[in-house]
Amino acid sequence: MSPSVVFDLLVAGLITGGLYALVALGLNLQYGLMRVLNVAHGEFLMVGGYLTYTLHTAWGVNPLLTVLVTGPAAFAAGLGLHRLLYARMLRAGESPEHFASQSLLLSFGLLFILQNGALLLWSSDLRGYSYLAEPLRFLGAVFPANRLLAAALALLVSIGFYVFLRTTLAGTAIRALMEDQEGAQLVGVDVRRVHARCFAAGLAMATVAGSLVSMLFELTPFIGLPYTVTALVVVILGGLGNMLGSVLAGLLLGLVETFSVQFATFDLRVIVSYTVLTLVLLVRPSGLLGR
Amino acid sequence: MTKRIGRREFLTVGAAGVSAAAVLRGRAAAQGKPVRIGYTHSATGPYSVGSGITQSPNWALWADQVNARGGLAVKGEGRRPVEFLATDDRSEIETAVRFYEKLCTDDKVDLLLPPWGTAMNFAVAPVANKYGYPMIGPTVSSMKLKELSFPYFYAILQQPDAMMAAFAGLLRELKTQGKISKVGLIYVNDLFGIEMFNAAAGPFKAARLDVVETRNYPLGVKDLSPVMKALKAAGVDAFVGLTYPPDNILCTTQAKENDFNPPVYITAVGTAFPFFRDRFKGAEGVMGIAGWNPKVKHPGAREYYEAHVKKHQKEPDRWASAYAYASVQILERCVAEVGLDRKRIKDMLDATDFSTVVGPVRFVKGINATSPAMVGQWQRGEFELVWPKDLATSAPAVPKPAWA
Repeated sequence: MSPSVVFDLLVAGLITGGLYALVALGLNLQYGLMRVLNVAHGEFLMVGGYLTYTLHTAWGVNPLLTVLVTGPAAFAAGLGLHRLLYARMLRAGESPEHFASQSLLLSFGLLFILQNGALLLWSSDLRGYSYLAEPLRFLGAVFPANRLLAAALALLVSIGFYVFLRTTLAGTAIRALMEDQEGAQLVGVDVRRVHARCFAAGLAMATVAGSLVSMLFELTPFIGLPYTVTALVVVILGGLGNMLGSVLAGLLLGLVETFSVQFATFDLRVIVSYTVLTLVLLVRPSGLLGR
Repeated sequence: MTKRIGRREFLTVGAAGVSAAAVLRGRAAAQGKPVRIGYTHSATGPYSVGSGITQSPNWALWADQVNARGGLAVKGEGRRPVEFLATDDRSEIETAVRFYEKLCTDDKVDLLLPPWGTAMNFAVAPVANKYGYPMIGPTVSSMKLKELSFPYFYAILQQPDAMMAAFAGLLRELKTQGKISKVGLIYVNDLFGIEMFNAAAGPFKAARLDVVETRNYPLGVKDLSPVMKALKAAGVDAFVGLTYPPDNILCTTQAKENDFNPPVYITAVGTAFPFFRDRFKGAEGVMGIAGWNPKVKHPGAREYYEAHVKKHQKEPDRWASAYAYASVQILERCVAEVGLDRKRIKDMLDATDFSTVVGPVRFVKGINATSPAMVGQWQRGEFELVWPKDLATSAPAVPKPAWA
């Protein structure tokens, strides 16, 4: 195998991995940090994709600029949903495990509502458009601009959020909340507010990821679930709540998948991905960068 | 308390009103007991794309047309309205099987229509067979069908061996003309892709085609650029992708992104969707599995196309949609000639030449033996039939122009 093929595969794997990291960001915030097991994560991504599709095809808005609409809209919707549904469960003062299972049930409901809502609005027909599907030449290899962009954005947002969690007061409050809810309350953290904003930010990230994904793949109301599964694997592999771990895990999965598609004569992708997950969890039960 | 009683009263009165209205309306429109036709369709889940393009719209169209004519003509009983008992199978095979069991035993429907897709049809064919319901599948293509042989199951779509023979025929012709020399083949690692790939081996060898690169990839793949790059590096000038719709769109996007523009570019499922044409700005020169277009001379073809566009505000696809419509045309004729006796319908299916929007259809051992496999090519907005020659609506344009 020539070095140029290996280089090609490496970059293609890293780009796919960047995409996975992007998809996992929002779920990491919700599940990794807040223990809201949002199985409708992929559905919010799907809605983001459709919103971008509609804005772009109906009004000619640049798909990249649509995130300025989809992100804030999802954030607002997230605050609303939180007040309507999740705040009640927080009030009950239950254990984190109980909260996780309750939120799981809730998000199943959301999943069906979003899927069927999208089905009514956009029908089951494939939808898609072409944006930045231009070849970029880099060290003698050719890569599509839109994928590079999505991967780069994933990296940027992940690093940005990591810095935010580590260096700002709000970030400290989030980490405190995750470690000990009562303790955080004692030192003056407004649990409900922080919780609501984290949840909303998670939705916003999912939606923005959807906006970017819509530049690459076709949409149907049912594309969500595989993204949710990938995101869960990435979050667990990287370590719950660890943004950099998520990025590493996403890149690792992307590489593993790309190479297995290249070399296996049959579909090894899923087997290889889960083998990697199992091995990592055997050696490091809390994930790559988990504590 | 008062509030609750109030609501209950309201509901009772409301329900009575609704049922009265239903009875009255029923009486006004009644021309005999409806003919009840049961089926499941994938309104939700991954199959909903295909189901929503190739099957459900055509059945809805047919039912509308039949009822507008005063109902389905049943031999000896005059016209009876068509009533569908349709359930969403959520793209789950076991759900579909359960509902078909129910349709046959509980609902005791008069006739059955099939669900969407090869895997689904495989699962419900034994049920239809067990209860003696003739079922004509317009979206099933598999060599295994012949081996299994369910006497009550009929496949109206072209099967893998015929399709691959058509591909090979066109490619051989282009090779003798000196337009292509190196074939690159990729297939989706799924029952459909594997069967197509296996069926291709014989005809491609017989046509002396030089297959220089063969690759497969899993269903749901997110990146095919390494595959497309490998084909480009191998100097492939005839690309054959035995694809499903999502990977079809992915590999076509990535062919363009990687400057891979071979003179012949053929993909399989999805190419005949109008969506594909619109997605790739005309998709000029892209070839794919075809079976029909509005230009064919079969009786009713143009009318079918126009009625479809009028009812659904979207064009039918250029492969299986017309076969779905043809399958209910066939059923309609059977019921008109032998009534609703399902054994007699089966006998008629086995021994009759039918005239449909896809041309003459005759079943031999449950498989449509008359509709030839065809290759289409997007040319100026229409999926022209370019192979076989005697049915072609246009000549193949090779080399294909640059990607739009």
